[in-house]
Amino acid sequence: MTAKYWFQAGRRAFLVIMLVFFLAPFLWLATTAYKPSSAIFSIPPTFGFSPTLDQFRTIFRLFDVWSLLRSSVLIAAGSVILSLALGVPAGYALARSKSRYAMGIAYFLMAIRMIPSVAALIPFYLMMRDIGLLGSWMSVVLINSMLNSAFVTWLMFSYFRGLPPELEEAALTDGCSQFGAFFKVALPAVRAGIIACVLFCLMFSWNDFLYPMFLTRLESKPLSVALLSAYGTKDITWGTLGALAHFSTIPIVIVILFLNRYFVQGLTKGIH
Amino acid sequence: MPFAARRKLFLVIMAVPVVAYVLVVGIWPLAQGIWYSLYDYNLIRPQRTKFAGLDNYVEIITDPVSRQALINTAIFTLGAVFFELLLGFLLALALWRDDRFNRLALALILIPVTITPLVVGLIFKGLLAADYGMIGYFLAEWGLTDPRGLLADQHAALATLIFIDVWEWTPLVALILLAGLKALPSDILEAASVDGATGAQKLRIIVIPLMLPAVLLALILRTVDAFRVFDTVYVATGGGPGNATNTLMLHAVKQGLEFFNIGRASAIANLTLLIIAVIAAAFVMMIRHADRKANGK
Repeated sequence: MTAKYWFQAGRRAFLVIMLVFFLAPFLWLATTAYKPSSAIFSIPPTFGFSPTLDQFRTIFRLFDVWSLLRSSVLIAAGSVILSLALGVPAGYALARSKSRYAMGIAYFLMAIRMIPSVAALIPFYLMMRDIGLLGSWMSVVLINSMLNSAFVTWLMFSYFRGLPPELEEAALTDGCSQFGAFFKVALPAVRAGIIACVLFCLMFSWNDFLYPMFLTRLESKPLSVALLSAYGTKDITWGTLGALAHFSTIPIVIVILFLNRYFVQGLTKGIH
Repeated sequence: MPFAARRKLFLVIMAVPVVAYVLVVGIWPLAQGIWYSLYDYNLIRPQRTKFAGLDNYVEIITDPVSRQALINTAIFTLGAVFFELLLGFLLALALWRDDRFNRLALALILIPVTITPLVVGLIFKGLLAADYGMIGYFLAEWGLTDPRGLLADQHAALATLIFIDVWEWTPLVALILLAGLKALPSDILEAASVDGATGAQKLRIIVIPLMLPAVLLALILRTVDAFRVFDTVYVATGGGPGNATNTLMLHAVKQGLEFFNIGRASAIANLTLLIIAVIAAAFVMMIRHADRKANGK
C-alpha cells in the first residue's frame, strides 16, 4: 500500500463524512413527515418507525396547501419574468456600450444586491400601504424584482461581455434590425446565462420569507410564511411541518440537482 | 440618423428600464429610510411624530440592547466566515479531482444551499431540542450541554447559530473555491511537480496566492450575507435567550414591524447598510489588487 493509496482513501473517507454531515439533517426533516407523531415525540428519541401518510392528510386538513403553493408559484414566476425582462436587455446594453458610465452602472447594480432586506422593507412597506398594494403577492414581486433585476443585469453583463460582438455586427451589416440582432443572434448564444439567471431568481424569491411575511395577507401568503405560522400553532408537530416542507423544498432541490451545472457556471461568472 | 447614433440610442433604451426601476423601487425607499431615521416616528401614534435629528443613532450606540446586537452580529460574522472558509477550502481540495464520485458528491453537497433558510432554522431547532431532539436529547442526557438544550443556553446559543450557518453555507464557499482551483494553470503545477515540490509547497507557493481572487470573492459574499443574517436566527432562537443571539437585522425587524418604531428601525437598518457598504468596498478594492497581482500587471 503506497502513500498515494492512503491519501486517496483518506480523501474519499473525508468526503463521505462530509456528505453525511451535510445531508443527514435534511433527511431527518424529510423522514419526519412519514413518522407517526408518537415516534417523533418519543423520549428518548427512537430511530425505527413504521411509515405513515397521516402527516400529509393533516396538512391538507389544516392548510389550503394549493392556495399556498399557488402564491409561491405566482411570486416566483412573477419575479423571474420581471427580473429577466428588465435585467437581460440591460446586461446586453451595458456590455456593448462604449460609454464610460457603463461600468459604473454595472457596479452600482451589483451593489444593490447587498442591501439588507430590512433596510428596504420598512420604507417599502409604507409605500405599498400608501398606494394600496399592501397584502397582495404583487408587492412581493415588485420588491423581489428590484434586487433580482439588478443581479440579473450584472450576471448577464458578464455573459454578454464574454460574447464576441462580431456576431451581431455581422447580422447588423446584413440588414438585421437592432432588436433582431439582440433576439436572434446574441440571446441564443448566452442560453446558459439565461438559465443561470432563472435559477438564481427562482431560488431567491421561492426561499424568501421576510418580504411575504409582512407584505402579504392570509389569502396571498406563500409556503414559506405558512411554514413559520405552522411552527407557531399549537397542534402542529414536526411531522406536519416536515410534510409541509416537502412542498417548499423539493421543487427547488430537484431543479438545482438537474441544472447544477448552470448554477455553478453562473456563480463563477458573477465573480469577474 | 447615422448608425452609431441609432446604436447608442438603442442601447440606452435597453438599459434605462432597470436603472429607473431600481431607483424607484430601491433607492427611493432607501432615501426615505434615511429621512424616517431622523424622526421620532411610531406607527402606533403617528400624530406625535417629530424631528429628532440624530437621536435615533445616538440611542443605538448608547442602548445596551442595540450594542449587544452589533457585537453579536460581528461575532457571528467573524465566526461563521472563518469556519466556512476553512472547511470550504478542505472540501474544495478533496473535490478537486474530476471523477464520477466527486461530481456526484458536489451535486449532493449543494443541497443545504438550496433549502429555504427558514427550513434550515427549523431543522436544527428540531434536532437540537433537549427533550425529543435526535441530537439535543443525547447531548443533554450525557451532560454535555445545558439541560434546556444548546439553543436555550445563554453561552452556547450564538456558537450554535454559527454552526448552523456553517452547515448551510460551507458548500457554497467550497463551490467558489473549487471553481478557483479548477481555473489554476495546470502547466505551472506540473512544472512544480517535476521540480520536486511537495504537496504542501505547491499549496503554499502556487495554489494559495493564485486562488486569492476566489478566496476574496467567497469572503465578500459570506461576510455581507452573514452580517445581514435574519431568517435562520429568527426561527431558531428569535434573538434569545435574553438578547444572546439578537442580531442587527432581527433588532431592526422587531423595532420596526413589531413595535412599529419606524424611526429607530430605520436608523438600525441604515447603520447596517453603512457597515456592509464599507466592508464590501474594502473587499472589492482587495479583489482588484489581487487580480492585478495574479495577472502580473
